[in-house]
Amino acid sequence: MHTPWTEKHKPKTLLEIVGNREAIRKLKEWVKSWDTEVPKKRAAFLYGPPGIGKTLCVEALANDLNLEFVEKNASDYRTAEAIEQFAGRASQYDTLFGKKRLILLDELDGITGTEDRGGVKAITEIIKATKCPIVLVANDVYDPRFSTLRQYCFLIKFEKPSLYEVARHLDKICRREGIWAEERALKFIAEKNGGDVRSAVNDLQALAQGRNKLSYEDVAWLAERDRKEVIFNVLKTIFYSRNCLDAKRAIDAADVDPDMLFEWIYENAPFHMRDPHDLAKAMEALALADLYRGRIRSTQDWTLLRYVYDFMTAGIAVSRERTKPEWVPFKFPERIRMLSWTKSEREMQSQIGMKIKKKCHVSSVRAVKEIIPYLKVIFENNAEMASGLAKWLDLDEEMVEYLTESK
Amino acid sequence: MGYEMWAEKYRPKSLNDMVDQTEIVERLKSFVKAKNVPHCIFAGPPGTGKTTAALCLAHDLYGVGYREHLMELNASDERGINVVRETVKTFARTRTIGEVPFKLLILDEADNMTGDAQQALRRTMERFTETARFILIANYSGKIIEPIQSRCAPFRFTHLSREDTLNRLRQICEKENVKLLDDGMDAILEVSEGDLRRATNTLQAAASLGKPINAETVYSVIGRASPADVREMIVLAMKGDFIGAREKLREMILKYGVAGSDIIKQIHIEIFRLEIPERWKIKLADVIGEADFRLVQGADEEVQLSALLARLTEAGYEMRKGG
Repeated sequence: MHTPWTEKHKPKTLLEIVGNREAIRKLKEWVKSWDTEVPKKRAAFLYGPPGIGKTLCVEALANDLNLEFVEKNASDYRTAEAIEQFAGRASQYDTLFGKKRLILLDELDGITGTEDRGGVKAITEIIKATKCPIVLVANDVYDPRFSTLRQYCFLIKFEKPSLYEVARHLDKICRREGIWAEERALKFIAEKNGGDVRSAVNDLQALAQGRNKLSYEDVAWLAERDRKEVIFNVLKTIFYSRNCLDAKRAIDAADVDPDMLFEWIYENAPFHMRDPHDLAKAMEALALADLYRGRIRSTQDWTLLRYVYDFMTAGIAVSRERTKPEWVPFKFPERIRMLSWTKSEREMQSQIGMKIKKKCHVSSVRAVKEIIPYLKVIFENNAEMASGLAKWLDLDEEMVEYLTESK
Repeated sequence: MGYEMWAEKYRPKSLNDMVDQTEIVERLKSFVKAKNVPHCIFAGPPGTGKTTAALCLAHDLYGVGYREHLMELNASDERGINVVRETVKTFARTRTIGEVPFKLLILDEADNMTGDAQQALRRTMERFTETARFILIANYSGKIIEPIQSRCAPFRFTHLSREDTLNRLRQICEKENVKLLDDGMDAILEVSEGDLRRATNTLQAAASLGKPINAETVYSVIGRASPADVREMIVLAMKGDFIGAREKLREMILKYGVAGSDIIKQIHIEIFRLEIPERWKIKLADVIGEADFRLVQGADEEVQLSALLARLTEAGYEMRKGG
């Protein structure tokens, strides 16, 4: 349930890797060329931005060609001796069952500092003499540290997959997870992550796990994440201004959606107003701002908006009388996230609530509060009782799954 | 193992099976005997047998086919005037055939009806008294408007005694072949506070773990099964943990879908039960009332309730300073 999707839906063969067909072809041919003779370049150096499948590609290749796979990464590169110890040995001796061996030295960028001095040199030496293919992976092949090493390597560039390719990959994952996802939503996630497949999949998991639908509205708030810097500055001004005008100006300084800004302030205010009196005043200011929003909704008189701004900026600023300024990191508005997270959950609960109502003489509202929690315990622990109850309550498969799997 | 919720499986079918609320049961039996039932209000805390008593009354009154003469409505799901106007009217209008010349309408969670809906209900009750009798079920009879109260015979249900709850749980354990250890029983009695439905649900969930039930099992079930409660939230806020309290609030609103107005109601009740200086209670009532009013005006539930929680945090701080 809680395995990262980047693991769970990891490509097992080269065919499943997102994009980079040309690079993959080159790598595969180079490894295969070892069958006939040791090639001139005994190592391949895969480089390119993070999260686009360089390492995955090597793993999948080893899998496809049925090679014994030896993998090391940054933490193993502490010293030249350490490298010599594993890579030297692995590159010289045959495998136990006569399988061919493929050595991967991952995260080469991780070799830094004085402690690692000699590390790159040790790797170069090993490559010169290796009897089996070695693949190096790093983000930046043109790092001066690699200048000698580079000469002994077959360089293969990996590029960011296209937006379309990433979105298609996300779609495949959604299908496997039984999530119906709007194309626009997936494209949005892909775009946000600029070709980084790994972080796109992580975002997808954060947004979609546990639901059966993912719409554009569910993901749109991600857009705000990029504007963090802008918003942080506005928040800083609002929380720490000494006078009303400065605080009020903060809102003009940045082009931020006022409702979203309200959420940011509302989320973060308590962390910046530790004194109980300041806190009470600040929350009251927000409550008043919110009250004016309500009045705008009911009267459609948008001139009232200026009072909303007054309370959510100046109102907050003047609340601080006793709390000493201290640096506290700003947090993304949790409730925005929760709202989209729990929407489908709440729908599911009320559907189950309706079923319970038919049998248990309680309102569905009450069933959600008073009976579903117990059902969850039962469904998690006792399959027999659960299936009996499912039949009795006439629950469909989706409901059973919800009761069994929700934490 | 039972293939039903035990709370339903072991719900008494006839008034004769009801072990508690003896005085009420006696009066209801006399209605059955006379084949006449006035409009009634059954008021009392959850899980004390109000709905059961109403269903048993119907059963005993009409016999096996009692469902035909009975309509169950739930005000929480179907609040609003229209439901009362339409559904209730349609049901109440037609005459029933049989020995008992009226139908029975059970309106559960009636204290959740809006004032307007109650006014409409009152007229309906008057118009159709000949053909239909109403049993209103509520936690607080005070939430029922006066004109309806005066037309109804009041029945006040009380928490089940420890003894009665214990006996009922023992019976269930015997029939379901469940081993309930003494400390497990104590734990259930403690957490269910005289609410038999809660006790039974807890028992069943604990039994689903498939081993003898001790106190630890019960608490782990309760830990997972109780939604954050209002009292806990208030205590957190007053202790100074506003952020923790706001998280509870969020959980209630977003995860469990509790209405803001219901949370306010509950806060209002709890404040008067707290062990705090009396004058603070009335000060806080003002703050609660203001928040309540703002919600009526269409403000955001969480934001308004958060402001209220912040006031509680401030109040807690001042009280500790001896204010």
